[in-house]
Amino acid sequence: MNVLKVPKLTIAVFVLPCLLLYVSMVFVPILFSVYNSTFQWDGLSSVKEFVGLENYKNILLNDPYFWPAVRRTLMYAVFSMVEIPVCLLFAILINRYVRKGNTLVSIYFMPVILSVVIIGQLWKTIYNPLDMGGMINGVLHFLGMDSSMKAWLSSPKFAMYCLYIVSLWQYFGYHLLIQFTGVQNIPADIYEAARIDGAEGFKADRYITLPLIVPVFKISIVLAFIGSLQAFDLIMVMTGGGPAHATDVISTLMYNNTFMSNKYGYGSALAIVLVIICLVFTVLINTIFKRVENKVS
Amino acid sequence: MSAIKKWIVYLLLAILVVTQLYPLLWLVLYSFKTNEEILGGSFFALPQNPRFANYTEAFEAGNYLRYLANSVIVTVVTMVCVIVLASMVAYAISRFRWKLAPVALIIFMLGLMIPMQATLLPLMTIFKGIPFLKNTLGMLILPYIAFQTPVAVFILSGFMKGIPHEIEESAFMDGASVYRIFRSIILPISVPPIMTVCILTFINIWNEYILAATFISKESLKTLPFGVNSFVSQYAVNYGNIGAFLVMGAIPVILIYFILSERITKGMVAGAVKG
Amino acid sequence: MENQVKKNHAIKKTVSVLTIGALAVGLAACGSSNDNNGGNSGGTNTAANTGSSTNAGGAATDSGKKVTITFQNIYPDATSPANKLLKELVAQYESEHPNIKIELDSLNTDQQKLKLKTQAGNKEIPDITIVNPAAQMKPYVDAKLLAPLNDMLDQNGLKDTFQKGLLDYYSFDGNTYALPDGNNIEVVYYNKDLFTQAGISDVPKTFDELIADVKALKAKGITPIAIGEKDTWTGSFLFMNILLRTNGGPGFLQDVLDGKKDFNDPAFTEAVDAFQELVQAGAFPEGATSIDANAGGNIFKTGKAAMFIIGSWETGNIDASSVAGKVGAFTFPTVNGKGDLNQFMLAPGSGFAISANSKHLQETKDFLNFFMTEFPKKKFELKDAVGVGQVVEGDFKAAGYSDLAINILDLFKNVSGGDLAFDNTMNPAVAQAHLSSIQNLFVQKVDSKQVAKEHQDAFAANK
Repeated sequence: MNVLKVPKLTIAVFVLPCLLLYVSMVFVPILFSVYNSTFQWDGLSSVKEFVGLENYKNILLNDPYFWPAVRRTLMYAVFSMVEIPVCLLFAILINRYVRKGNTLVSIYFMPVILSVVIIGQLWKTIYNPLDMGGMINGVLHFLGMDSSMKAWLSSPKFAMYCLYIVSLWQYFGYHLLIQFTGVQNIPADIYEAARIDGAEGFKADRYITLPLIVPVFKISIVLAFIGSLQAFDLIMVMTGGGPAHATDVISTLMYNNTFMSNKYGYGSALAIVLVIICLVFTVLINTIFKRVENKVS
Repeated sequence: MSAIKKWIVYLLLAILVVTQLYPLLWLVLYSFKTNEEILGGSFFALPQNPRFANYTEAFEAGNYLRYLANSVIVTVVTMVCVIVLASMVAYAISRFRWKLAPVALIIFMLGLMIPMQATLLPLMTIFKGIPFLKNTLGMLILPYIAFQTPVAVFILSGFMKGIPHEIEESAFMDGASVYRIFRSIILPISVPPIMTVCILTFINIWNEYILAATFISKESLKTLPFGVNSFVSQYAVNYGNIGAFLVMGAIPVILIYFILSERITKGMVAGAVKG
Repeated sequence: MENQVKKNHAIKKTVSVLTIGALAVGLAACGSSNDNNGGNSGGTNTAANTGSSTNAGGAATDSGKKVTITFQNIYPDATSPANKLLKELVAQYESEHPNIKIELDSLNTDQQKLKLKTQAGNKEIPDITIVNPAAQMKPYVDAKLLAPLNDMLDQNGLKDTFQKGLLDYYSFDGNTYALPDGNNIEVVYYNKDLFTQAGISDVPKTFDELIADVKALKAKGITPIAIGEKDTWTGSFLFMNILLRTNGGPGFLQDVLDGKKDFNDPAFTEAVDAFQELVQAGAFPEGATSIDANAGGNIFKTGKAAMFIIGSWETGNIDASSVAGKVGAFTFPTVNGKGDLNQFMLAPGSGFAISANSKHLQETKDFLNFFMTEFPKKKFELKDAVGVGQVVEGDFKAAGYSDLAINILDLFKNVSGGDLAFDNTMNPAVAQAHLSSIQNLFVQKVDSKQVAKEHQDAFAANK
């Protein structure tokens, strides 16, 4: 695929400045974490006890909160990836039917701009119990469905779904922006050529937009996946991982172990496990898309 | 038939405008409320007596202007560096023929996967070894650039893969150097994705607080999120002031966002092909 | 063991030197100045060897020169009395000592904890910081990060300004490492109007009466007890008060630590059962586990809840709210006939501590001495002196303090002992397990034996 044959020096000029900064600020800290994950350490004393892979063993075998957190984390990822085709559909629709598409996409993007502090407050007023002015419960009450009313964020059964919904809402604009950029980036003359051949509207989309958008679609899928595995702020603001771990995901579990329980080594191991899960799935997604790309092109 | 379809689409888009824009309105209302109205209030409630004092308090107590200036410096420097560095890498990864290109991409992708909280302690250890960074905004800018490049590289390399090869080939034939092709062909046609990356970078940094709170101790170097969080004390939260501060913090973002997003327009690639 | 530690240190050092190398090259490539390379690695070695250096400003050590003291604190809100006090005292000190500059690093509580832990992990804590008493500050003391303040306490009679026994919570092996910003007790605030509305004539003296009152309030559609249990310490603080009663007095957790009791003890399960009785009676607001502590308190302060069981630090906030004047306070009732009404959950405040590695140790001590000496006077002036950990001179009533404040101060006079909060007694890992176990009680009924087992398991696993 890559065509330009350039001297090694040129490659170095293009890649090294960024790589070096990146390695020293991001990569080296990971190595630190890998190293720390082999210790039992509270994060501040000078006594560190080397325990080898025991932290990993405990995470995988003995931590009652780990596997449920993994399940919720992956669910989070699935939910946010399912959103992407919808975003693509909207990007195509906006591109076709709206003259100033940019502005509309910008409006949809607004929730991403707002700080998570405010998003949390807003959605709490939606999920709150009736006597605290919660909107959903208000609607249910209005419809006479009082038996379905509940304190949504305090329900171990529903709280996690409430959080998924907030994320879907907030990141709709984010992925729409990326998809829209992708749709805009398809050269107009390709469509013109297709029109001459009699392909227009959705037919053109099927044969031109979809194949050409695959790389951009993949970008969104990967970003959605990794982003949701890192979901942290929103959960901390809305439920703090509670009630009683019911909304804990890997990142909140890691944070609590590292900084609240003073188990720095264990927390580092959790961070590494998180990175590994991300890595495995990213490679998986890449492989799937390679196949898709080969098929459509 | 198609007219009906069109109106259904418009209706759908209009509903989304409401759901996605309402929070902004909500925030503005919120910023005029008293603490009690905010905590007891329902979803649609209006402030009874608009409390303008929220703004004056937020402006002064939140040290708005200084924090704003710092935020702007940090964000602009980071954005420029990220775009320059990441587009170079993205170009190399997506267009040059070298064996390690996929490996380089994976290494950068790894950066997306790292929970930032896990890097706090090691980063501080690293900073300890760089005395000249101490008490400068560099302690924020460097890690911000490093943390934002992965997304940028990922998005930009994805887009650059799609640029038709003919463009470069013809320029190459004419004897243009790689550097020139990059500067005067690739960068200009990549403006839409670059703007997208700018927007995403901007958003991430503008609201970033964990790194900032950990590495910045000097009042004169603090950024806007400090202002927001300054209204949260141990046993009390000043919600109205937070709201006002957030509105003031969001205005520059919205302005910049609309300016940048105007550049994401159709036909750039096509134009370049023809030219 | 020692060998192991040394080896780790060596590895760490190597890794850090490698990093710096990579970084220096990176910076050079970025076009930044690379002439600092030499100084760079030198700096690394010094830092690694002495494990010190925090403070900037380029200030030198001798006292005649300009000195910058970094004062990390948890009073960021410029509209609050605590922040006013801080700024006024700092300004006063700076004007009296022109060579001293105090750099205030004001953060909210959570962020300060996170920052301090990160700094402590690098042995770089600021000149003055904030730690919590007893078990919570012990790791910092063990890591030798805090300077003993004994000598400074003896100056200007500072030691005698503190209430008797209070400094014990901040002292280890005869050394005092922090000075508290307050000393509070857990009380039950109640809204007199709402009590009257529900036909309650007197405050409950026993747990059964409390349950009866809860039911009476609930029947009137009034939230009986305000709480924000998203911040899990609130529920724990209340639970511990019950445990203080069922145990017949203080010291349950200490006994567990000393191996004399364990969590399967009947006193503990009885407390869990009593607590669940409250939950089942509908004492708490719906959805309590997603309400933050402040929002929870606000339910009381807006007159929607009848009681608020919390530390006496809330007195000022209540007086500033819309229910001011309608609120009284009483002590937590006895449970099943057990416990002493004059024993309280004690909440010694956050403490100001000084970095053992401070470059300006003497100047910092001098400043903190001044700060703490003036602290109670200033607090009194700002009408914020309820729950100050020092002897306050002045007539509260004459100074215009509210009836509620006087009421609370009277309760203080009767304190004959009590317990510290769970997280001030047990190590952080056990405390976290406890906090989420108690939070769970808000959303589902759990067999008290199971709760006891969760606690015992966590305790055994994290000794």
